[in-house]
Amino acid sequence: MRSTRRTSRLAVAGLVISSLVLAACGDDEEDAGGGDSPTSSAAPSESCETSGDAIKLAVNPWTGSAVNAYVAKAVIECNLGTPVEIIEIDENATWVGLDDASIDAVLEVWPSGHAADYEQYITTKGTVVDIGLLGPEAKIGWFVPKSVVDEHPELATWEGFLDPELAKLFATAESGDLGQFTMGDPSYVTYDEQIIANLGLPLKYVVAGSEAALLAAIDQAVADGTPVLMQFWKPHWKHLEVELVEVKLPDVTPECEAAAASGDGSYACDYPVDALYKAASVQLEAKNAPVFNMLSKMQLTTEQQSEIAGYVDRDGMSPAEAAQKWVDENAAVWQAWLA
Amino acid sequence: MASVDTLPPAHLEAEAVAKRQRERLLGFGVFAALLVAAWVVGHEVPDWMDLDVQGWAQDRYTWTIQNSDTHWLFTVFLNPASDFLNWAVEHVFDLLEALRWPGVVALTAMIGWRTGGPRAALAGGLAMLAVGAVAPWDKAMLTLSIMVVAVVMALVVGVPLGVIAARSDRAEKIIRVVLDTAQVMPVYVYFAPLLTGFGIGYPPAVMATFIYALPPATRLTNLGIRQVPVVLNEVGQSFGTTSWQQLLKVQLPVARKSILLGLNQVIMMAFAIVVLASLFGPSDLGRLVLNALQKQEVGEAFAAGIGIVLLAVALDRISTGDRRPLPRWMPTPPQWGRRVWLALGIGTVVAAVVCARAFELDVLPSWMLIDAASPIDDAVDWVQNNLRKDVPVIGGTQAISDFLVVHIIDPIQRFLLWLPWLAVVTGVAFVGWLSRGWRLAAGVALCLVLIGFMGTVPGAGGRKPLWDEAMNTLSQVIVAIVLAVLIAFPLGVWAGRSDRVERVLKPFLDLAQVLPQFVYLIPVVFLFSAGRAAGVVACVVYAIPPLIRLTALGLREVPHAPREAATSFGATPRQELLHVQLPLARKAILLGVNQTVLMVLATVIIAALVGAGGLGLLAYTAAAKPNVNLGQGMAGGLSIVFLAIMLDRITQAWGRDPDTSRT
Repeated sequence: MRSTRRTSRLAVAGLVISSLVLAACGDDEEDAGGGDSPTSSAAPSESCETSGDAIKLAVNPWTGSAVNAYVAKAVIECNLGTPVEIIEIDENATWVGLDDASIDAVLEVWPSGHAADYEQYITTKGTVVDIGLLGPEAKIGWFVPKSVVDEHPELATWEGFLDPELAKLFATAESGDLGQFTMGDPSYVTYDEQIIANLGLPLKYVVAGSEAALLAAIDQAVADGTPVLMQFWKPHWKHLEVELVEVKLPDVTPECEAAAASGDGSYACDYPVDALYKAASVQLEAKNAPVFNMLSKMQLTTEQQSEIAGYVDRDGMSPAEAAQKWVDENAAVWQAWLA
Repeated sequence: MASVDTLPPAHLEAEAVAKRQRERLLGFGVFAALLVAAWVVGHEVPDWMDLDVQGWAQDRYTWTIQNSDTHWLFTVFLNPASDFLNWAVEHVFDLLEALRWPGVVALTAMIGWRTGGPRAALAGGLAMLAVGAVAPWDKAMLTLSIMVVAVVMALVVGVPLGVIAARSDRAEKIIRVVLDTAQVMPVYVYFAPLLTGFGIGYPPAVMATFIYALPPATRLTNLGIRQVPVVLNEVGQSFGTTSWQQLLKVQLPVARKSILLGLNQVIMMAFAIVVLASLFGPSDLGRLVLNALQKQEVGEAFAAGIGIVLLAVALDRISTGDRRPLPRWMPTPPQWGRRVWLALGIGTVVAAVVCARAFELDVLPSWMLIDAASPIDDAVDWVQNNLRKDVPVIGGTQAISDFLVVHIIDPIQRFLLWLPWLAVVTGVAFVGWLSRGWRLAAGVALCLVLIGFMGTVPGAGGRKPLWDEAMNTLSQVIVAIVLAVLIAFPLGVWAGRSDRVERVLKPFLDLAQVLPQFVYLIPVVFLFSAGRAAGVVACVVYAIPPLIRLTALGLREVPHAPREAATSFGATPRQELLHVQLPLARKAILLGVNQTVLMVLATVIIAALVGAGGLGLLAYTAAAKPNVNLGQGMAGGLSIVFLAIMLDRITQAWGRDPDTSRT
């Protein structure tokens, strides 16, 4: 009994000593490391002298979001001398971060998915500010593999799906006798159920549940050469890999805009174009006015953004490398943001 | 066993039998009448049946958003708590960083040596080294930091809670409801509230992990103390020990094995939630999984997932007190005194750290890295190309999926929806009554009625009762539970009777339980098509480990005496299994079934991500659009909890002696 106790006392002493040694070593290390927080990704971008409080930019899990943020990081660090920390986070959690200023800005918001957040944080509470359009326009819509349209040209427009025989091409165990319309992540904006009902299409709305499941469903269809009809969007890296064709839905009318706003279930048109915008914490302007101004002015065209995204999705660069390459080659574009 | 000791005299016995028969008849009569009544009045859930839980939850959430900067709940309580959690994670992380990888590996091994011996030291150290080989070291250490803080919290709260539960039956009942809720309520439901309460980053990640990992600590402490033989307690009392002494000197030490199993389960649970926790903002291994998923890089997602599993294995090996000697082919360590070994251990850790710092060993050298992604991609490709179609006899996963949907899930679901809702309630109450009596019947009926009170949710062609979604989920849950038991029970028996089988199975069980379900979302959808069958498969994979483990554990813990007695009477191994081991292991096995039920319900949310729909999907929408959907998500999540409690109480009732109480 005694000896065990002595042993454990020895162990404690040993641990204390070793942790003291470590702590001593740890201190001089901290100065060299610059207190790099583990939430920030250690970007191997061009090392520029930076000082002051870091600006925290949110990156949501898609390529466009990452390249915007890394372009901004490269420009800010080397021209405004402010360090930028990248925070990889869920797109819905981003708003809570903006709200309490633990995130300073997010550079790509898809308006269709965040109308309620806009209302809650920007309009009502006023803790988040809209700092203008990013530039690129995105589009949600109904997509089929190109082979489907090659074989049945009628299916290039929604009227083609009125034919129960053609719709049946898309039938699965889940949809029974109807054709299956596949929706991915249910948190994305969707009018599909209303469109199907109001246009009287013999389709069944099936929620695959996640973007990953949707992508797997595309692969399945391509592997088997079977048709698949789904909600999808541009830009998305999958378009580089699989040729998808957007099915033409009725044009957006004022009635449809009203239906979308009221949520009365009478929506029967195509999806409106998503003009991507930027949002910042209301405290950012006071925290760092030059950065706030730069982010407000920052704009990319659809072509510019897809060029940088292509470096990542097609050429396999990291977002940081892709952004650096583009910044190096396009000084004229980003210098306008600093003016 | 207990029923034998308390056998009443013969004339009382006969009277009791007659009484029971009368009760039985009465019961059948009552339920038949209720069923008829249900058919007459209870077809649809009536409109007035709505407790407006949805509106209430939505209003509370809006309130927290509006007041998160000013109200004392935040400024006095939640914000400091959040700061503390942040501080804790950062400091653990700093310490791990300062140790560098050689130091972390050496420290892991040393702790393993202290708790278990050379075998645990070796296994823990190697697992930790392997983490670095397959996954980025800094991200792994961040995951480890969050997990360590959450696991410590779960133990600090969970073990005392278990002690309380063990000492009072009433407390146990309440605590069980809380634990069931914690284990089954989908994280997505409290995702947004945790964010508003704790901000982004580590604190909500720790909290989510803590909530999910707490139940096993409490459950197994409770179980362990309750299983302390009565004799030991009496011996303690006869020596005049106080209640505290009794707890500390008798009950906790005797319950040690159970509590350690609890620790093991806490670790497994905590690591099962790493990916979800990374939604809150930490750039750790979970984030790698999510990013890979978005790019459809299944191999990368698996590699990060395996990193998570290896971290869990390392912690598990050094925490379970594995005291077995090293395998025979390894050299036996010399028989030095403990103190020498201790000095050597500490010396090794310090040397490792000093070396690492001197040579700036921040990450593992490239020759030690293993590219796990490419071979996994190849394997997944092979599985996807060869198992989906044209498999002899079974036809392939696609055929299985279509069969499950068309011939099993769909008919059950349609039957449940066709039944008047009160008939479903009556039927479940009847099962409850058969299992344990009137009180259970009332309890499980209440669970279902409360689901009826959850209001309506949007659906095709207007709002419809949430009840319909609950029946959708219930049909899938029933199929998943039956499949899981059919697969797990035989495996558990096999593992309980053969050390080799158990050893082979263990890593797979760890893998199935800890490998984030997210990494196999894509292959599951590819193989089974997005839909309810894919959802059932996801549930089954996650739900079988506890039943296998507990069946094996139950068989192994059957005392030798009855087994030897049976053998000496000439029982064949088969007879011994069926008539001695299985009956004596019944309690553990039914606990396993019970855990399987809870696991299936805990996975309903993941099933929704592969197309299962139902309550899981409702709960999921709460995270994505909390400002409009938190209410319906809360209603969906609560309904999952009600289903879980209902099925849990029924399966628990099977695990008790039928005679002890029939109230």
